[in-house]
Amino acid sequence: MRITCPHCGQRDISEFTYLGDGSIRTLALGFGGPDAPPDAEIDAAHDAVFLRDNPRGHHRELWYHALGCRQWVDVVRNTATHDVISTRAAAAAHVELER
Amino acid sequence: TVQAKKVGIAVAGNTSRLADMAGLRLPIESHVLQAFVSEALKPLIPNVITYGMGHFYISQSDKGGLVFGGDLDGYNSYAQRGNMPTMEDVAECAMAILPGLGRTRMLRSWGGIMDMTMDGSPIIDATPIDGLYLNGGWCYGGFKATPGSGFVFAHLLATDRPHDEAAAFRLDRFRSGATLDERGAGPTPNLQ
Repeated sequence: MRITCPHCGQRDISEFTYLGDGSIRTLALGFGGPDAPPDAEIDAAHDAVFLRDNPRGHHRELWYHALGCRQWVDVVRNTATHDVISTRAAAAAHVELER
Repeated sequence: TVQAKKVGIAVAGNTSRLADMAGLRLPIESHVLQAFVSEALKPLIPNVITYGMGHFYISQSDKGGLVFGGDLDGYNSYAQRGNMPTMEDVAECAMAILPGLGRTRMLRSWGGIMDMTMDGSPIIDATPIDGLYLNGGWCYGGFKATPGSGFVFAHLLATDRPHDEAAAFRLDRFRSGATLDERGAGPTPNLQ
């Protein structure tokens, strides 16, 4: 399996470290004092941290080019065939996700 | 259509896909675990050898082939096959403990689909949907646990109460904080 790093070109997967689902929106979690956060915040945090779509097919995921440019790559890959559909710099992809 | 009063999901690897049919999202990622068989050798290994630091196991089948494997490839997969870096890593583990295998040829390799959970421990529990029960998330330890897993799951299905041995494997433990993360790897399934 090869991933085309947007900065370095096509490289073998052994140069990359896998994180996981790249569509997860990270949360700013508040840990305020003795008052427990409302259930909605706990539910949202639980969903973001622990629950996954885990599709058989196109999967949007984050890979770290550890043995190359050391930048994060946003990859769409088919989990049933291992075909890499698209790759782009994660920083650009993250800005889009936040909109 | 097939109907039943109680339905139990026990489909390691494809748990998320079935749960999705019921509108459930789970703390599971499906990962590939490769396994390998060598050419037939005269009796060499009478037991199972596990190499803890390398996360590697090896035994010998009655047909003479050495059966061995090691770590996950490390990325989500339903492909039932893995890639070369892991093959190389597993072969290195074999050589580390049994260097005499250096000339042994690899005959066959394949990959299974593992239900990797967010804490590396299984889930045996009723789901929020009435009548639907789940036995999954066994990561790479399910095959050997099958008799015990089936026994406690049958208890749950029959009595609607968890068996004492399986009471900790709740689906809501991730939300309540009662995770069973023996490796201390955190909510990263490929590191479990």
